[in-house]
Amino acid sequence: MSNSIQGLPLTNVDFTAAVNPTQATEPSGGFTDLLQKAVQQVDGLQNQAQTKITDVVKGNGGDLHSAMIAVEKADLSFQLMLQVRNKIVAAYQEVSRMNF
Amino acid sequence: MDLFSILDLSGHALTAERQRAEVVTANLANAETTRTPEGGPYVRKHVLFETDAPGGFGGALNSAIERNTRGVHVSAVVPDQTAPIKRYDPGHPDADANGFVSFPAINPTEEMVDLMSAVRSYQLNTAAISATKSMIVQSLEILR
Repeated sequence: MSNSIQGLPLTNVDFTAAVNPTQATEPSGGFTDLLQKAVQQVDGLQNQAQTKITDVVKGNGGDLHSAMIAVEKADLSFQLMLQVRNKIVAAYQEVSRMNF
Repeated sequence: MDLFSILDLSGHALTAERQRAEVVTANLANAETTRTPEGGPYVRKHVLFETDAPGGFGGALNSAIERNTRGVHVSAVVPDQTAPIKRYDPGHPDADANGFVSFPAINPTEEMVDLMSAVRSYQLNTAAISATKSMIVQSLEILR
């Protein structure tokens, strides 16, 4: 796999923006922004799948297999998002359990 | 090329094979048709497969970068060149002055083989989709 699953660019995350308080208020870039974009793209794929399925069921001439592929894409991109989310939560819990 | 565009590639191939199966089925259905709106017997149809043209500048750039991996589509459905088969049947309403009736030059056996080939190719491409899917799932497994 190249460095992206379509629509989910895994670009370098600028963690300094989140760590450095003077830059924290900056709206562009940052991890939250990236995450939000990823979620939006997953949502877009889900909507696409829904439209295609609706087309097939209504008999608007949609291909059955392209609907299936759209559903599969939506599922896989959701899985990716879920895995990333699990990883982030795990990292957060790891940090919160840290002893000082 | 990312893994999701492989899915698109296979999707195009599935569409093409479905159209091919459609045309072959039409040929089979009309194997004995002596009347058409255009006049004369039904003419056997062929599908022509063509590689997808890269769409627009972005597509051209992509295909140049991605080592020219392109899908397939049905570019045209063309009629067969073979002349219709003449059968002697003076009682037939479509018989000519000499008592011959023009039937489409369609060999059902040939069409069945064509149909099987289309179905097999369809199977092949769905198998490719499953393989791609399992590749994506595998790469998600890395994170677990």
